[in-house]
Amino acid sequence: MTDFKKIEENLKTESRRLLKEGLVTVVLAYGKGFDENHPMPYAAKTIADVDSIVFNEYCNYNMARYLVRYPQGTKIAIAVKAADSRAVIQLIQEEKVKRENLVILGIPVQGMKNPKTGEVIDSKTTCGMYNPVLYDILLGEEVHGVKSASPYDVLAEYEKMDKDARWEFWKGQLDKCIRCYACRKACPMCYCDPCFIDQSKPKWADKEPQSPGNMMYHLTRFHHLAGRCIDCGECSRACPVDIPLYLFHKKVAKECEEMFNQQAGMSIEDKPVLVDFRVEDSDKILE
Amino acid sequence: MSNNNPYIPMPVQISKIINEVDTNDIKTFRFTFLNKEDEQNFKYMPGQFAELSIYGKGESPIGIASSPTDPGYVEFTVSRAGTIVPGLVTAALHDMNEGAQIGLRGPLGNPWPIEFLEKKNIVMASGGFAFTTLRSLINYMLHKDNRNRFGEITLIYGARNPGLLLYKDELAAWEKRDDIKSFITVDKGDDTWSGRQGNVPAVCKEVAPSPKNTVAVICGPPIMNKFTQPVFFDLGFSKENILTSLEMRMKCGIGKCGRCNVGYKYVCSDGPVFSLAELEELPRDF
Amino acid sequence: MLKKIAIEKISQLAAVLMEKGTLLAPVKEVSGHNFAEIKDPKQVDLDFYNTIMSPKGAFFPHKEDFVKYKIGKPLSEVEPAVLNLKPAFLFGVRPCDVKSFEIMDIHFDAAGIIDPYWRFRREATTIFGYAYDLSQPVDSADFYNTLGIYAADPEGSDIFMVKKDKELLLKAITKKGENLLPELTVLKDGITADEKYFTEYVNKGKEYKTRFMTLDQEVVAKKLEDIFDNTDFWTKMSAACLSCGICTFVCPTCYCFDICDDTLFGKGTRRRVWDACMFTDFTLEASGHNPRTQVYQRLRQKICHKYSYHIRKYGVISCVGCGRCTRHCPVNIDIYSIVEAALKA
Ligand SMILES: Cc1cc2nc3c(=O)[nH]c(=O)nc-3n(C[C@H](O)[C@H](O)[C@H](O)COP(=O)(O)OP(=O)(O)OC[C@H]3O[C@@H](n4cnc5c(N)ncnc54)[C@H](O)[C@@H]3O)c2cc1C
Ligand code: SF4
Ligand code: SF4
Ligand code: SF4
Ligand code: SF4
Ligand code: FES
Repeated sequence: MTDFKKIEENLKTESRRLLKEGLVTVVLAYGKGFDENHPMPYAAKTIADVDSIVFNEYCNYNMARYLVRYPQGTKIAIAVKAADSRAVIQLIQEEKVKRENLVILGIPVQGMKNPKTGEVIDSKTTCGMYNPVLYDILLGEEVHGVKSASPYDVLAEYEKMDKDARWEFWKGQLDKCIRCYACRKACPMCYCDPCFIDQSKPKWADKEPQSPGNMMYHLTRFHHLAGRCIDCGECSRACPVDIPLYLFHKKVAKECEEMFNQQAGMSIEDKPVLVDFRVEDSDKILE
Repeated sequence: MSNNNPYIPMPVQISKIINEVDTNDIKTFRFTFLNKEDEQNFKYMPGQFAELSIYGKGESPIGIASSPTDPGYVEFTVSRAGTIVPGLVTAALHDMNEGAQIGLRGPLGNPWPIEFLEKKNIVMASGGFAFTTLRSLINYMLHKDNRNRFGEITLIYGARNPGLLLYKDELAAWEKRDDIKSFITVDKGDDTWSGRQGNVPAVCKEVAPSPKNTVAVICGPPIMNKFTQPVFFDLGFSKENILTSLEMRMKCGIGKCGRCNVGYKYVCSDGPVFSLAELEELPRDF
Repeated sequence: MLKKIAIEKISQLAAVLMEKGTLLAPVKEVSGHNFAEIKDPKQVDLDFYNTIMSPKGAFFPHKEDFVKYKIGKPLSEVEPAVLNLKPAFLFGVRPCDVKSFEIMDIHFDAAGIIDPYWRFRREATTIFGYAYDLSQPVDSADFYNTLGIYAADPEGSDIFMVKKDKELLLKAITKKGENLLPELTVLKDGITADEKYFTEYVNKGKEYKTRFMTLDQEVVAKKLEDIFDNTDFWTKMSAACLSCGICTFVCPTCYCFDICDDTLFGKGTRRRVWDACMFTDFTLEASGHNPRTQVYQRLRQKICHKYSYHIRKYGVISCVGCGRCTRHCPVNIDIYSIVEAALKA
């Protein structure tokens, strides 16, 4: 099992060193919250700040979403778990951050928990990987020999539904949405400013929490994330009304993988699938 | 409930449209009320504003440009907003013709403090289209029933070029009167322009009004305000005696929607008129 | 006057209330409990801690239609929305939330122009307050004690309810409650022991401790004014904030709204819809100028509004310590901790 205390120690040591040696101006990690079970995303800018860094099973935040808040060129150290590292890779692919400005602190981890429900976060709502894909410094032992389920297993039930049933399913789910936009704000890949939904000219969707506005918001967001969602599950965890947004993202990711043989955020050499064209690409998307 | 529902506008008709500037993007709209009762209830004073309401587009707060001394109608001078994409309401209004109907909610906000201004000299420094509610004030003060309630009236008003000056006929008429001293200036003149050149702060310095028993009203674009205020401080005006009108994004206009606050004041219902002394008490959040 | 009913028969009481008007009560949803208009008396579920969304929606719904209009038609054809003013019963409101109505009353119904929707809905509604279950642990996010509110405070409710084993005791607090209670014929009369239990329960509520700090309104209002320009402080406090709408939407005392025209095929509705100072475009002007472009400026607005501006304007803090904003914040931002830190800043 993951030694959270050890990782916290390593995280602090490396953060202190990086800040002290002036290699970075900020460390994006996890900090103390109002109690043990409620840590927070944290930006340590001084050596003194490092004292407030924590790491425990509730530090499930994907810190990659904060990268775009800093001006291009800022030297940033970022703590990443498996899916988070994929978000960093995807952001590098999309030229939102530069590899050379980052020090990636990799955290291999198993047994993260959702602080709201206490449930273990696994391949049901995330990519289910344990080890970061890309890192400069590893803060713990890589997890080996533990096989996690495929991130697409959870789609089995969903895929049994026919088109009409799926429409009904999403209609029912999205009717609950209160349009707080926490999902897009929690998402590391939703960095547009302004987001299409905030535009008033043209206005893409009404503001009130009901369809067709809700449908418009979500279907558009889902599609903006096609081939880009790295399956961290942050949107679904942020949602105050527990809409299983991950189901749609996973379904699209699966289709993308089948068509283009590429998963989002797995290599900085890749290009985003919907930007890149390869002669051998599947034509299925055109059907 | 619609009669006293503050969110439901009353119907008005555009009875006249005046194109104010050569760029065609500032027009004065004159509205007459469709219901006599609404007209009687619409009691306003210079400095107040109203929400112009176009169903399907929305509502925009616009300062009242006419003076209550001209009964029977209300006027608003509206600039077509938006730099890249046109503003929803203002563009729709600009595309309308005389005879069209829209909605009106108001009057809203506080007027220029007439009682405070009474028996005092008044100096107004203004630029661009923020001039509209000062035009209302001037016409109010110049009205024969009111003129002797106020001391000397001085107007310093500027625009980038002659074509951008608002209310050109009235400006000309005021220049001829001896109960208002007006200094009209443009940043840059053209062939037709024989008047003053120079920006508003510079002209204020030149005119150098005395602070004695005098209230200054500074109401222009942010950049003009920024450079004009120090001129008045240098002349010896106190913060209490410099007034201005603030702008914040608004929706309800009646202090309910929570949008337009600067500190604990809602600009719509506690303003838009503030003295610099009052503003100093508030955080810089505008 | 005190009455009672077995909790397992609560749906009978619900049925009686539904005959008399609209019943709004907690129902269980996938993610937790929420107030909803009851269609089937069996839906009412009092086995909850507190609802996700506050009950403010009973008076200030997420969307409120003003008028229906048709594009290109004369304004005389515009139809104002009709308010359904049937008597309404808001059932099972926690004491901190009951207190929030009083705070919102000042804004909507006492200061300046009266908001007709809030007033009429409020007048038509009888509030059944419901004490927290003192045998259950308090949620770590709550801090209503700090705002002078206790777990079993009956003030502000028309009828106040406490749980006694398998029974629910209902006591009339206001005239409105006094009038209604005898009409609810499914209820049995309470006995002296019940009266005693009720009084003791209310007192015991004072011992049920949430987070607490001593808070002097004047001091906190002033302090927040003083540190308005302390950008370091606000940047630190907001480092994690996503600038989403959760904390303000779930809050019982947030009242911001937008007015929207929604048109489809030439027909439309003008309505108000909840809005939040945490959204980027809240203060965006047509010129492109926006006084609050940064996350820290927006979080600062939220905190300062609740704990400073609102005191200056209306004489009371705009927060009841219900803990919802903290509980539902995706990144655990805690308004209590921020106020605490601000006082030390
Ligand atoms: C007190 C006051 C007086 C004003 N007087 C005048 C005037 O006399 N003449 C004039 O041309 N303009 C005036 N303005 C500015 C005018 O309100 C905006 O230019 C206008 O609302 C833009 O609306 P829009 O729908 O065209 O633009 P959009 O960009 O489509 O704006 C959408 C909505 O946002 C709100 N909004 C956007 N910008 C502003 C803003 N700057 N101020 C307030 N609300 C805004 C409005 O509700 C508007 O309908 C005044 C503003 C205020 C606050
Ligand atoms: S987080 Fe949930 S409720 Fe909020 S906008 Fe997203 S789906 Fe809707
Ligand atoms: S404090 Fe939390 S709930 Fe509120 S806007 Fe920030 S992230 Fe969202
Ligand atoms: S600010 Fe938070 S604790 Fe206070 S009333 Fe609102 S939701 Fe409850
Ligand atoms: S300004 Fe912000 S904190 Fe205040 S009521 Fe509005 S949404 Fe709530
Ligand atoms: S515009 Fe709604 S509060 Fe000022």
